[in-house]
Amino acid sequence: MKKYIVTISILILFFYSLVSAEGITGQATERKSIRIRDAGGRFVEVRLPVKRLVVLTSDALEIIRALGAEDLVAGVYSDIAEDPLFWPKLKDKPKVGSWKGLNYELVVELNPDAVLCYAQRPGRDMEKKLKPFGIQVIRLDFFKLDNLEKEVEALGRILQKEKEARELIAWYRNNLNQMREMLRNVTSRPDVYIEGDSNYHTTGPGSGGHCMCALAGGHNIASNLSIPYPEVTPEWILMRDPNVIVKVTTRSTCDTCYAMTGVGALKNIRNRIMARPAWDHIGAVKEGKIYVIANEIWTGPRAIIGTSYLAKWFYPDFLKAFDPEALHKEYLENFQGIKYQGVYVYPN
Amino acid sequence: MQDICEQYKDFSTRKLFFIVLLVVVLFGVVLIALSQGASSVGFFESFKALFRQKTGLAHAIVWELRLPRIVMAILVGCGLALAGSVFQAILRNPLASPYTLGIASSSGFGAVVAIIFSGSYYSQYLIAGSAFFFALLASLLILGIAKFKSATPETMILAGIAIMFLFSSLSSLLQYMGTVEEVHEIVFWFFGSLSKVGWKEIGVASVMILLPVPVMLRWSWDFNLLAAGDESAKALGVNVTRIRMCGVVFASLITAAAICFTGVIGFIGLVAPHIARMVIGGDHWFLLPASALIGGILVLAADTLGRTCWAPQIIPLGIVTSFIGVPFFFYLLMKKKREYW
Repeated sequence: MKKYIVTISILILFFYSLVSAEGITGQATERKSIRIRDAGGRFVEVRLPVKRLVVLTSDALEIIRALGAEDLVAGVYSDIAEDPLFWPKLKDKPKVGSWKGLNYELVVELNPDAVLCYAQRPGRDMEKKLKPFGIQVIRLDFFKLDNLEKEVEALGRILQKEKEARELIAWYRNNLNQMREMLRNVTSRPDVYIEGDSNYHTTGPGSGGHCMCALAGGHNIASNLSIPYPEVTPEWILMRDPNVIVKVTTRSTCDTCYAMTGVGALKNIRNRIMARPAWDHIGAVKEGKIYVIANEIWTGPRAIIGTSYLAKWFYPDFLKAFDPEALHKEYLENFQGIKYQGVYVYPN
Repeated sequence: MQDICEQYKDFSTRKLFFIVLLVVVLFGVVLIALSQGASSVGFFESFKALFRQKTGLAHAIVWELRLPRIVMAILVGCGLALAGSVFQAILRNPLASPYTLGIASSSGFGAVVAIIFSGSYYSQYLIAGSAFFFALLASLLILGIAKFKSATPETMILAGIAIMFLFSSLSSLLQYMGTVEEVHEIVFWFFGSLSKVGWKEIGVASVMILLPVPVMLRWSWDFNLLAAGDESAKALGVNVTRIRMCGVVFASLITAAAICFTGVIGFIGLVAPHIARMVIGGDHWFLLPASALIGGILVLAADTLGRTCWAPQIIPLGIVTSFIGVPFFFYLLMKKKREYW
């Protein structure tokens, strides 16, 4: 009897292991391609594994490095050469073009599994041209704080770096929650005028800047306008009398803020804003609440750093102990593997 | 004979009346522009602020924000229209304008160069200076080609079109190389805007636009004779080559001064002279001031509409000038029975 029981048990175990093995094999077959939602909201099938990548945007490259997948990068955007300090390991990779367009022959020669680019650019003809060579196009933006977590999660699945993606998302969430918690008791929101690189061009609803301002507890004076990046009249800004003015800039003394050592360039920009005709009647100018912030920590993977600075500027008394610079240092050293340096805001 | 003299006098009086009418219309548009804006400073308050107040918010709004915009709009409109009239006269071509000869596209290229390469030294003056330099460079190129070959209108127009394509392609190349933000800045510059001008910019632009005006007026009879053809003009004592060469330089100078601070404002240089010519004919003594006034009115009206009809958002000036100018131009074109050119 005992013999029968043992034999039956062994047989059951054998069949079970067969079934399980088949199940795993089946799963493996299924997992050869995954379905993700790209930045344009489309569901696309991505064949796995993705072991060689061509990356056309700095935003995507930053996330790839944060996921510890730098080794998978086979080709990069050409402008990377202008920021060698920030990209010490990737700066010498083959250059294939820019976020607007690429050299197809170079890409085909590199034989990547996929090209990673923005949702809108380069145009949709890229998919058609690369399909015959078996190269997939993955469109993820990584420039809006709203979608950042979902996009990081999708890229984590594509690169099979789910654990690293979860860690990065957790870091984002913790810091956002901490900021929300700190701003929970705030009752009145300051009126904020945000200006892009081009003078008098502000950020309305639908822009990344508008979303960051709201997250940091500010009231964007352009929140009722109908387009994302409208030009507004100086007279309207004067009438809205903002409490804080934030100028976002790409201009610096060096090619990038990471290589910048002095605050001179950002200070000049601030001085020019303060000297604008009739702006001495604006509250923010009277109280000196004009802040210049570099594009590097504005919309993009480091939008959370920019948002932290906004919160600190909006509520200096509430957030005395809050240190956005420390947050930035933590991000660069823990997730990007580079030392913290550079000038990103003025005044700090 | 008496009859012809009488008719000429009568016609001249009518032309003069038209110019006076344009001055009155321009004054009316100025009054409207002065009283419109995002603030509550209305018609009477703006006048009070203009003449009586020395300080305060209303004074700052009128003197620092509205008035510079109005003055620059008039200057730019007058300058572009004047340059267009001169180009059309010296090249004997109704399609000639600052754009046909590549002056605007080279000026645009100058701005693009400054935006892309200036880094922290980026400033409005650098953009303006670079735009101005390249506009003059284009005119010198045309002159060089004309001098080497011959200063016929065909040579100059063909050289101008070639230069236009060259600088447009160069601008596109730099835009292609630019970052997202730089491309935005370039696009905005090409839209044209009066928001960034203050009294300093007006001072610089007005010197460059107004200085050549007396010379242009002095040459108005020569421009008239050029219409009869180079041979006839030469026979009547006009130094055709000199006037064509100098005309290109002066008109380019005016164009460069008009657009270097404000960005490309299309269409005015082409349409304002035609509107004036349709109404008062081709006598440049009257045509030059009339087209300048029409240019000033069109740009000021376009800017006032652009900043008020979708306030506080601004519809770029370059877009509104076409919206206003094209229907008006079509209306006159359909109404005119005989060939006016």
